[in-house]
Amino acid sequence: MSRVLGRRFVRADGLPKVTGQARYAADLVLPGMLHAAFLHAGVPRARIRRLDVSAARALPGVLAVLTQDDVPFVRFGAAVEDRTLFAHEVVRFEGEILAAVAALTPELADRACRLIEVELEALPPVLDPEAALAPGAPLVHEDWQDYSANDGIVRDGNDCGFVNIVKGDIEAGFAAADEIVEGRYVADMSHPVPIEPHAVLAQWEGDRVTVWSTTQTPFPARNGLTRTLELPESAVRVVVPHLGGGFGGKCEFHFEAHVAALARAARRPVRLVFDRRQEFTATDMARHGIIATFRTGVRRDGTIVAHEASLILDTGAYATHGPVITEIATMMAAGPYRHPNMLVEGRTVYSNRTPAGSTRAPSGPQVCWALEQHVDAIAERLGLDKLEFRLRNIVAEGDEGPTGQRFEKIGARESLLEAARLIGWGRPLPPGDGMGLAVGWWFSAPGPAGCYIKLNADGSATVVTGAQENGSGSVMGLALLAAEELGLAPERISLVYQDTDAGAFDSGSSGSQTTFNVGRAVLAASAQIRDRLLRMAADELEANPLDLELVEGVVRAKDAPGRSVVIAALARRAQDDGELITGQGNPPAPKMPDSLGGSCAGRVAFPAFAAPAFFAHAARVRVDRETGVVRVLEVAAGHEFGRVLNPIGVEGQVEGGIVHGLGIALSEGTVFRDGNQANPHLLDYKLQTAADVPAMKIAFVDAPAADGGPYGSKGVGEPPVVPTAAAVANAIAAATGVRVRHLPMTPVRVWAALAGEDA
Amino acid sequence: MRYPLTLTVNDVPYELVVDPGHSLLDALRTDLGLTGTKEGCDDSECGACMVLLDGRPVNSCSYLALQAAGRRISTVEGLVRDNQPSALQRAFLEEGGVQCGFCTPGMLMSATALLAANPSPSEGEIRAALAGNLCRCTGYQKIVSAVAQAAQEMARPTPG
Amino acid sequence: MAVAVGRTYHAPASLDEAIALLAELGNDAGVVAGGTDLVVAARGGRRQLPTALVAIHRLSELATIEGSPFGGLALGALVTHADLERSDLVRRRWTALADAAALVGSPATRHVGTLGGNLCNASPAMESGAPLLVYDASVELRSASGTRGLPLADFLLGPARTALAPGELLTGVTVPPQPAGRVGSAYLRLDYRASMEIAVVGAAVLVALDADGRCTEARIALTAVAPTVVRAADAETALRGQLPTTERVAAAAARAAAAARPIDDVRATARYRTAMVPVIVRRAIEAALKRAEEEAA
Repeated sequence: MSRVLGRRFVRADGLPKVTGQARYAADLVLPGMLHAAFLHAGVPRARIRRLDVSAARALPGVLAVLTQDDVPFVRFGAAVEDRTLFAHEVVRFEGEILAAVAALTPELADRACRLIEVELEALPPVLDPEAALAPGAPLVHEDWQDYSANDGIVRDGNDCGFVNIVKGDIEAGFAAADEIVEGRYVADMSHPVPIEPHAVLAQWEGDRVTVWSTTQTPFPARNGLTRTLELPESAVRVVVPHLGGGFGGKCEFHFEAHVAALARAARRPVRLVFDRRQEFTATDMARHGIIATFRTGVRRDGTIVAHEASLILDTGAYATHGPVITEIATMMAAGPYRHPNMLVEGRTVYSNRTPAGSTRAPSGPQVCWALEQHVDAIAERLGLDKLEFRLRNIVAEGDEGPTGQRFEKIGARESLLEAARLIGWGRPLPPGDGMGLAVGWWFSAPGPAGCYIKLNADGSATVVTGAQENGSGSVMGLALLAAEELGLAPERISLVYQDTDAGAFDSGSSGSQTTFNVGRAVLAASAQIRDRLLRMAADELEANPLDLELVEGVVRAKDAPGRSVVIAALARRAQDDGELITGQGNPPAPKMPDSLGGSCAGRVAFPAFAAPAFFAHAARVRVDRETGVVRVLEVAAGHEFGRVLNPIGVEGQVEGGIVHGLGIALSEGTVFRDGNQANPHLLDYKLQTAADVPAMKIAFVDAPAADGGPYGSKGVGEPPVVPTAAAVANAIAAATGVRVRHLPMTPVRVWAALAGEDA
Repeated sequence: MRYPLTLTVNDVPYELVVDPGHSLLDALRTDLGLTGTKEGCDDSECGACMVLLDGRPVNSCSYLALQAAGRRISTVEGLVRDNQPSALQRAFLEEGGVQCGFCTPGMLMSATALLAANPSPSEGEIRAALAGNLCRCTGYQKIVSAVAQAAQEMARPTPG
Repeated sequence: MAVAVGRTYHAPASLDEAIALLAELGNDAGVVAGGTDLVVAARGGRRQLPTALVAIHRLSELATIEGSPFGGLALGALVTHADLERSDLVRRRWTALADAAALVGSPATRHVGTLGGNLCNASPAMESGAPLLVYDASVELRSASGTRGLPLADFLLGPARTALAPGELLTGVTVPPQPAGRVGSAYLRLDYRASMEIAVVGAAVLVALDADGRCTEARIALTAVAPTVVRAADAETALRGQLPTTERVAAAAARAAAAARPIDDVRATARYRTAMVPVIVRRAIEAALKRAEEEAA
């Protein structure tokens, strides 16, 4: 870690982005291209009585109209195979696709949609997840028993994923408690809201289709295409031009197959571009609405002795990743605290809302918001300072995680102290102000990754991976890793990425996994080139390869920097001599930490948290008690990411996460009226603006992980969004003396809480 | 009915024939192929479509193309002069103001208008000028620093 | 997303030409200035664009802000929110209007959105309406058969409904001189975010004080709590002729709720809006009083 890493650098895709040259999916045009439009159900639950597309097909300029009858009957889904490309017999949410049209112009495609005759028998929507769990409740999926699901998923009626953590003896724990504190918290659904809406362009050549898509996960998108259209993987290429953000909303597989099927039927390229309303109502990766209840037993000295939590996640009409996210949620409901005795249960409940899924740190902000308010309430009951109470219970090296994993060196405590220091915890505040703290943890996601590097004859290099750049800069940062290992300037490294025909399988920009996994592959591939260059240089310099290093474009003797050979010269000579210098790396993924395993149900993907990152945020707010309007004045963040490799990039992730978190805290909530979203636009689904942003202070804690990513690093993208809403909630409570138990904490809700009401 | 229209974009005149309902954004992106300007919503809330009309920011998604006849339109494609990125573009790169890049063209246009009208804006003035441009990636911090940085850079006398 | 096609477009170069066009096109005509309401509504699929678009942005004679000889104000329909925000005259004398203009949408919306468009769109949440109500403003409506003036209160009939007749164009707003004494006015809006907001509750207040500090005049108007912006007569009566003590101001503000007939919508509950009216009105009265008192100097 020296010459390249840890310094500020300009990302390689920056220049095209600031000049307008960078092309995004909606910018692409092909000769003969048609425009796609979808007919959405528009009602949350119904039986389809009639669907007649003949008038739409007859409209001049319309080249294809498709319904479920026109594509293979294949059920698909990330965890439970519970859906089809188009609505089949029933409608389960307002954005359900009834039909798709391809026409010469967008206007014609819209007109054709309006010509489709639909008869829907409206059914009362299932909107209350607690009621949906009651025996005899109407089923969102009447055929749920016929669906196949990933091994280990526990399903029952509207619950498509039951998960628990059982640790110690919960009853004995409560019996030993001096105080028992209970709490219930409810979070509304919210949305990822990338500024770029979904777009897909598909073109067939013979039996092969190329799909340019706004996906964050090109390979899972390809899997979805091959499965639903019954194609071999070799027949499908998914390419992502520049991606305008995702925040989880573009994970998995969305509309690639619809557009590919239209293009095949129309025998022309077809492009789909979503508008903002569709982005809200017809995508399937919203942040889950949750209901969280806690019951915690503590001793008078502040030791937690029993912790019980029940979580209900509203997954909407389809499971997507829901059961796996409920697994994560149960870990978040434990928090980074020592728990000798614990019982956590999570349920993934179907409703007739827009499907929820993998929005940035799925379940993290909501569950952390609920748990950390509960933790504050416990400290209040005990009369302990909230920082002190957390310090007495927070995990450290050698402690056991909720599912039994043993923590190595971690920075949970240090992150908390940093956040408290940066905000000036305990200092006197003006009336109306309040300060709050929140801690949390998040996993790194070990997975397969591959990298291929070619050393060019001029000493530059090309790094080829299957990785996906969502904007965070994680793929851009791969150039830094290769540069560090090969002794090259980062500008000398070009990157090929987000093309399923180029790189090896990659799970995409999801789970904060790019640097963690692909970074290790880059190091492995670099090592092969490095070894070859060292051997060539050793011959030339008559030295031992172990005594040489690759620095600033040369291979040189460590003890005599003047004895060197230029890397470009080595590359050129090798090529002239008939040898190409390439490297390839596909290292095995780090192992999951050991865990309790069998004593927990429904643990499919997260028996434990691998290389967990720890963090704490502190917020200072000012509450207008008369109106309930909250202004956040200051946020301080302490983060342990193992090791920070690219400070400007990581700062950007933390700042962006905080502001995203402020939106979740105060203004971002999906409002439903009878199952239809009432605010599917940015005027009433309010993101924080530049004018809302408080002063932000950030500190990093260094604690390299033995089983981590490159140089001991951990996943960075998701953690920053997790604790902000919780810190703001606790600050509101500190300022006002009342807890707001409904997220987002809008002025109406803060005002109602102050008035002693439940809004 | 379709109507002839002369649009002057980044000092280049173009002849078009458009429908009355055609937006300035559609004219730029679809008819002229200037796809640097983005579309992120349809109600002037996100600012991705921001261009300058006679030097002032306008949401091109909700401005009729025909009403832009005879006016001076500036888009992100016009910021590079003599193959050199502007001070503002350089500052966005150096300060880390670019992540996914989708809001960037609109941000740059709002900031360009701000700096033309107010060469040394306060942080509050920068934030107010950018309030109509949503960014989901950066938390705005590095964008605001980039604009401040560019203002300083532009205030420096040119060498030589 | 797509805006429907098959319509006509007209961009008159003079007011007379515009009036003649509107007479000829009748009910088909729809006037567009900045497009911030009309085009946005069409793109969002809420309302179709009119069959015949009459774009009046070239009528520079409607873009003027002028003081009248006895202290009144004449505003052209094409005056933008940014023009109002920046005008020395408006900022000095018509502060509630300047306050309101500065709160509209984004900088871009303020640059292209016009006063005439804001009034004709007739949203109960319009920012310029409440200040103009407390200034007793009238709109000037011109058609081929002549010009008529109408008090703003009579022009606004309900959400998206006005007294504008086919063939008529709102050409401007006239504001009479302000009452005698030390006058202060202010517009305040309850904002969820620091910017880019739409009114949930707003209030404009004008007060005039005599030498003893007594309120010789009090005018109060509310935004976003009724089908149109409305005057709160009871609250005004409670203040008129009184010394504006903290208690009297609070009591007057409380009576403003009588004028509110709010609805539940995605932005707020009716209960919340009703409860916020006295808060926002009280703050607006305080702001107006402060400005009136500063007039003394």
